[in-house]
Amino acid sequence: MNNLLKKGKQNAIILASLIVLIIIFAALNPNFLEKYNVVSMAQSLAPYAIMSLGVTFVIATGGIDLSIGTVCIAAATVAGKLFMNGWDIWTTIPVMIFIGTLFGLINGLLVAKLKLPAFIATLGTMMFARGLSAIIVSIPNIFYPTGTWFNSVFSNFNGFPVGFFWVIGFALICAYLMYKCKIGRYILSIGSNEEATRLSGINTDMYKLMAYVISGLGAGIAAIFWAASFTTVASATGNGMELDAIAGVYIGGTSAAGGIASISGSVIGSAMLVVIRSGLNFVLAKFNLDVNSTYVTYVLTGIIVVVAVLMDVIKNKNANKVKSRKKA
Amino acid sequence: MNELILQMKNIEKSFPGVHALKNAYFDLKAGEVHALMGENGAGKSTLMKVLCGIHKRDGGEITLFGNPVNFHNIAQAQKAGISIIHQELNMIGDLTVAQNIFIGREPIKNGIYIDDRKMEKDARELFGRLGINIDPSVKLGRLTVGRQQMVEITKAVSHNSKILILDEPTAALTLPEVEELFKIMNDLKKNGIGMIYISHRMDEITRISDRVTVMRDGEYVMTKNTREVTKDEIVKAMVGRVVYGETKKQSAVPVSAPVVLEVRNLSAPPMVKDVSFVLRKGEILGFAGLMGAGRTEVARAIFGADSKTSGEIFINGKKVKTDTPEAAVKNGICYLSEDRKRYGLLLIKSVAENSVLASVDRYISAGWINDRKIKKDAKAINEKLKTKTPSMDQLVKNLSGGNQQKVIVARWLLQNSDIFIFDEPTRGIDVGAKSEMYELMENLASEGKSIIMISSELSEIQRLSDRVLVMCEGRITADLDISEASQETIMKYATMR
Repeated sequence: MNNLLKKGKQNAIILASLIVLIIIFAALNPNFLEKYNVVSMAQSLAPYAIMSLGVTFVIATGGIDLSIGTVCIAAATVAGKLFMNGWDIWTTIPVMIFIGTLFGLINGLLVAKLKLPAFIATLGTMMFARGLSAIIVSIPNIFYPTGTWFNSVFSNFNGFPVGFFWVIGFALICAYLMYKCKIGRYILSIGSNEEATRLSGINTDMYKLMAYVISGLGAGIAAIFWAASFTTVASATGNGMELDAIAGVYIGGTSAAGGIASISGSVIGSAMLVVIRSGLNFVLAKFNLDVNSTYVTYVLTGIIVVVAVLMDVIKNKNANKVKSRKKA
Repeated sequence: MNELILQMKNIEKSFPGVHALKNAYFDLKAGEVHALMGENGAGKSTLMKVLCGIHKRDGGEITLFGNPVNFHNIAQAQKAGISIIHQELNMIGDLTVAQNIFIGREPIKNGIYIDDRKMEKDARELFGRLGINIDPSVKLGRLTVGRQQMVEITKAVSHNSKILILDEPTAALTLPEVEELFKIMNDLKKNGIGMIYISHRMDEITRISDRVTVMRDGEYVMTKNTREVTKDEIVKAMVGRVVYGETKKQSAVPVSAPVVLEVRNLSAPPMVKDVSFVLRKGEILGFAGLMGAGRTEVARAIFGADSKTSGEIFINGKKVKTDTPEAAVKNGICYLSEDRKRYGLLLIKSVAENSVLASVDRYISAGWINDRKIKKDAKAINEKLKTKTPSMDQLVKNLSGGNQQKVIVARWLLQNSDIFIFDEPTRGIDVGAKSEMYELMENLASEGKSIIMISSELSEIQRLSDRVLVMCEGRITADLDISEASQETIMKYATMR
């Protein structure tokens, strides 16, 4: 109960910061809250948030998955190429899911079975996936359909941001997996102390592998929403997406050292990044500042990630201090 | 040569949940070897760490060469002339011997580069002075542990240390290496260097030391001239306390009791060589031996934590495979490591979660983990074990060592394990909590659980075991009924090289 309250309190802080950000942007430029922008934010949230949800499982084990961004794009590219070669649009969905899961499986095998450091293994697959999609895209770009059932189901139905509700749905499934299912329980145990978990008779390699599979699956599903929302894949599209998704996870309160994860935090964290990206556009436009909003977004995101994690570190330190004093 | 160079008075030190040093006393004269003795957990290492500034003392005075001192770190202590030679050596295998000796104060040539030639020349000179025959230009990692230790001593001498602390220096040495070490120590004595010698080996103490100080439970017990004290007196001073109670006179388990675990020809190089034994139902089987005898390695191999090259394991007469902890646990074996923080606990998780870690499966109904039931069961079992915790939600890192140990016992009771392997079950646990732990183990045994207990405290072995296996260098050298397991007999087999 105590833990639950604490978790709730932490979520409340992040949610409050998100609301404050929205208020600030709206105050600086009221157009920010125009319906079309809210819808656009809600629909672009989907791919990022779904990726964040997936990678939360890996980060909870104390690992990292750098490949999710390029894997997402690779999945969208391969499936898009098939679509342009005449495959029916619905067939792209299982293809994207399959490719994401396949990469997740490869990452999992490299890290859990072959004991490669997660950073290096997923750096490798990240580069591999980026190269793969660049080769396939070349020229011409890949175009997904617009205004079809595909877009209505996964992105925007008559101005209604469907993607947002998908995110809520996936978040509920992830929360179940993380908190109420054996797999999540063991993933968090591995993140707290992998060796102690193994010595408790738990097949840690298998559960670690599954965390990477979930992360890859997330990237594959994210690809569906990405394709439905953005519809065009060019050669450098989506570079750095993984960093946004991972930053969202850290902002959301999942511990980089593993063992502690917040599913709702990951959603709110990625929402915060979407709001910042869009809000800065409006603010810069309002004040006629001739700066690329993407770069300013990076500056601000960088600061927020460091501050969020720093607050976590300080809080933990203080908590420890109080407790040890009590004991003495 | 008889001047007092070091005096530590009324030293106090507490850690969360443990009063490690109470009114401790120690002194050292120039040119003497002063043995510091006591069981594991008696406070010897803590006292030395307080001396070197690794731990900050809570109270007391330290006088060095007549001046009060208060070191904040090991570098200050070293500067003042104190060097500590650890059990585990603190040197870098990839550097040469000379580079290790002069690390942190390398001679610089022409203001730009490190003068390796000068270092090697100086090192050779030092070795010559101490009568040690080591080539300073070879990589340290290529030397035996014994020779590495000599390099570390040489390094201390090169720092002009007047006080050397040797913490179990012979634990990993061969006999000829021990002889060489003693020769060097005798030379250092002549040079007026005072040495604090920590060891469990009685024969070495009587041979090399001039005086003996005994500590027990963090307190000073006595100081005697080695010539005027018998081994028995020292042992008595070390263990003479009520916590252990009576030693067991005879086994509570008849030879006819069913065998629950049989290990045949278990080998796991390099530390486990052809180990065979049986464990009976309701028995506490003590594993005695010196540090590094291979007892923990036997336990880990049986439990599947480390791989084994050969050997068969039978449980209740049936051959089983325990190649992973998962398989071992399924067969009812559990292992409680001495290093609870590293190998046992999820420190940032609650008492409840730690208690059910091995049995989560049982709490899943229709795909959902039933946390209410988990808490209920965790509460019941921890109440039975008298775990002191404000609630089941308390994070395990906030409990004392004894209570953390109980949470792990709770984990295996909830998992319904039958065979408990306790590795140093009372290490780092307060004296009071120790006797509770003993009671707990006795209760487990009387409820029909079978226990393997690895312990370096002979009194603990004698108090609890029905039977004692003694290990030395990876082999079982004796299988003793408790009635024949005197400390002398155990030590004899433990040092049977």
